[in-house]
Amino acid sequence: MSELTISVGPQHPGSGHFRLIINVDGDRITKATPDPGYVHRGVEKQAEYREYLQNIPLLERPVISDSNGSVYAYVLAVETLAGLMVPERGQYIRVLMAELNRMMSHLYWLAIYGIFLGHSTMFMWPFGDREAIIDLAQRVAGTRLTYSFFVPGGVRNDLPDGFKDETLRAFEFLEKRLEEYEAIFVKNPIFAQRTRGVGILSRNDATRLGVVGPTLRGSGIDSDTRKDEPYDVYDKLEFEVPSFPDGDCYSRVLVRLEEIKQSMRIVRQAVKSIPEGPFRLRLPSVMRPPAGSVYARTEAARGAYAYFIRSEGEKTPYRLKISSPSFRNLPAFGFLMKEAHLADMPTIYWSLDYWPLEADR
Amino acid sequence: MLIFPGLSFALTFVLLMVWYERKLLAKVQVRVGPLYAGRFEGILQPLADFVKLLFKELIIPKQADRPLFMLAPTFMMALSVSLLALIPLSPTYMIADSDVGILIIIALLSLSPLAITIAAWASNNKYSLIGGLRALHQMTSYAIPLSLSILGVVVISGSFSLLSIVESQRNSWFLLLQPLGALVFFLGALAELERVPFDVPEAETEIVMGWETEYSGINYGIIMTAAYVKFYALAVLFTVLFLGGWLGPEIVAPPIWTIVKSILVVTLMMIPRGVYPRVRIDQMLRFGWAWLLPLSLVNLIMSLAVVALLK
Amino acid sequence: MTLRYPESRLGLPPGYRGLKAGYKGRHILDMEKCTGCSLCAVMCKNIASAINMVTVEGPFPKNRKAIFPQVDYGLCVFCGFCVDACVFGALIMSTDYELSSYDKPSLIYEPKLLASPSAAPGNATFVVTKSEAYHQHISPHLPPQKTER
Repeated sequence: MSELTISVGPQHPGSGHFRLIINVDGDRITKATPDPGYVHRGVEKQAEYREYLQNIPLLERPVISDSNGSVYAYVLAVETLAGLMVPERGQYIRVLMAELNRMMSHLYWLAIYGIFLGHSTMFMWPFGDREAIIDLAQRVAGTRLTYSFFVPGGVRNDLPDGFKDETLRAFEFLEKRLEEYEAIFVKNPIFAQRTRGVGILSRNDATRLGVVGPTLRGSGIDSDTRKDEPYDVYDKLEFEVPSFPDGDCYSRVLVRLEEIKQSMRIVRQAVKSIPEGPFRLRLPSVMRPPAGSVYARTEAARGAYAYFIRSEGEKTPYRLKISSPSFRNLPAFGFLMKEAHLADMPTIYWSLDYWPLEADR
Repeated sequence: MLIFPGLSFALTFVLLMVWYERKLLAKVQVRVGPLYAGRFEGILQPLADFVKLLFKELIIPKQADRPLFMLAPTFMMALSVSLLALIPLSPTYMIADSDVGILIIIALLSLSPLAITIAAWASNNKYSLIGGLRALHQMTSYAIPLSLSILGVVVISGSFSLLSIVESQRNSWFLLLQPLGALVFFLGALAELERVPFDVPEAETEIVMGWETEYSGINYGIIMTAAYVKFYALAVLFTVLFLGGWLGPEIVAPPIWTIVKSILVVTLMMIPRGVYPRVRIDQMLRFGWAWLLPLSLVNLIMSLAVVALLK
Repeated sequence: MTLRYPESRLGLPPGYRGLKAGYKGRHILDMEKCTGCSLCAVMCKNIASAINMVTVEGPFPKNRKAIFPQVDYGLCVFCGFCVDACVFGALIMSTDYELSSYDKPSLIYEPKLLASPSAAPGNATFVVTKSEAYHQHISPHLPPQKTER
């Protein structure tokens, strides 16, 4: 049969706001071209018209399932520009919220992986358990997903009373559930059959294509911004960076599940050793950082998130450039989907954890 | 004839089965299924969905082959309903009795790939084409082990008629005499019905709805009803072939036993939907040809040897 | 774990006041403390433009121009920066989150409506139909007022 060109387009139950043009010959994909750009809103340009504090609700909205990951880098960049020293309690609270968000994002990812493979229970259970973490985050910040919680100079409000006991209780529940997930979802013979040996990304290819995040760590390279360039109190907390050498979709799943456990470890240490004191610097709400440019990078749930800010001493930034991990993972699409089965397309696509809104900004 | 084992009973049973499936999956997935339609836990929800489908617009693509496009759902419904007519619920409640009942059933089951290919080709859509081809491969590959496992039962009971197959289970059910055959029939039935984990032709995230993509409104309703009627028919067939049909203590009437056993089989067939993801098409075909076919052949040869030795 | 809403609802912590953590729901305005400085509107202007200042009848000893904020919940993103911006502590956020309505004009909450602290704003009544499965939120249909500075 001759080659078919299928457009797994934006109106497709398996693609999100994103288009993939696939050439199929029988059951094999011969070429896959990603076509991003359907949700481009011009966030970087819009940020030039808003003051530094008013940018925060704008910038947390692209990456909605992990909103603290993106605002963290922005806030660090502004603090470096203005030369601010954040009090330690504020730093601990920021690390805590960022790790809670990482757990949330990974559970969401696991759930949608279930949909892509046709397993409806793998969709329902992680979403239900994610509510336990969302409840914790709601106690701290007030809203469920878009917190507007990090500000240059610290965080906006303090932890509520009894937060430590609630956290420890929720984590006991989550650990039991994670064991069940290992037994039912990861060791499921059909799941293992569909993800082992599929979409193999070797070490050289990973560095050559420039992928970031758990995709990189699933190919055996344990690079993580929290360990390489520690920010806030990450250098005082003990945790490991998981990496698995196989490079296929199965090892990427294992990397993310292990990261959830390491995040729980970080939050437990943070909640036990958090110091008393102020959590926010008193700053004017209209900030005018001195002129200059700065580059800051953090580790969001999907990979390294970086900001470049240039200010001219005004109350709005002159130029704001966002480098998001989903955009950096785009070259892997065309490379991994060559010579794959058509049925492997959703498996590979979602194991790269591509979030269209984040890539298009 | 029309009321009890006939079409009205089958359609009511199908509605209850859809509700039952949704509630069962909801319990597995820590949620509540349909809740609001009808006084009791949403029992009228499938009926509400059916009525909603009646009101929707029938969209027929411009380049599609109109006569074939409209023929396919009717063809599928005719196949499923004629399967029903041949399977008895008890000696007093049956529609059609025939000496070669099993052969006709096997022939009808082998016609389903034809109906699906008609639907896929007439839709004039790339997704439908891929889905239809996958369905063709799947159904023809799994029809062979299915038929061979049925032949194992025929060999042991010695006749093609369903009434005498149930009669010859008076001493022991064929489930105990033919465990391999029952397993092969179960898996083959799951593949014939396109249920998870074998719902490759309807793989939502790769090819939208496969061969059902272009069907909207009541066309889709008829296809879904035909699928569930076939589900009911195959479950009752499993009961008749392996679980002893209507044989049981005489506390209740015989057809009730058939229905109770079929509900058990239906539950067993619905549970994999909550437990397994979808298999890939080449892995599934490899499983069918490399595992199920030899197993069913081994089963057949063993049954022939046992019958020959006992004579 | 699934709740049968609306018969059973989640419990929530008290509303956001800016210093201690709390839930960010609908705003509650204290008309005795508000002086009409418009800092909340200035803060919101670049974020969501949901706050406009409108005039209200009646003498207010602290508020000579008699202007108060009016919040449009069709635009508000519930970030809470207006609560942080208010120097006099006249705005807090409560736990009321069931704010949906059938038409857009009734999403604009004028100051008197914002000032009522009960869980159901203004003259809202909860109507439970026969199947007890839906509730209708009837809020007074008010046309929006012109803004003045």
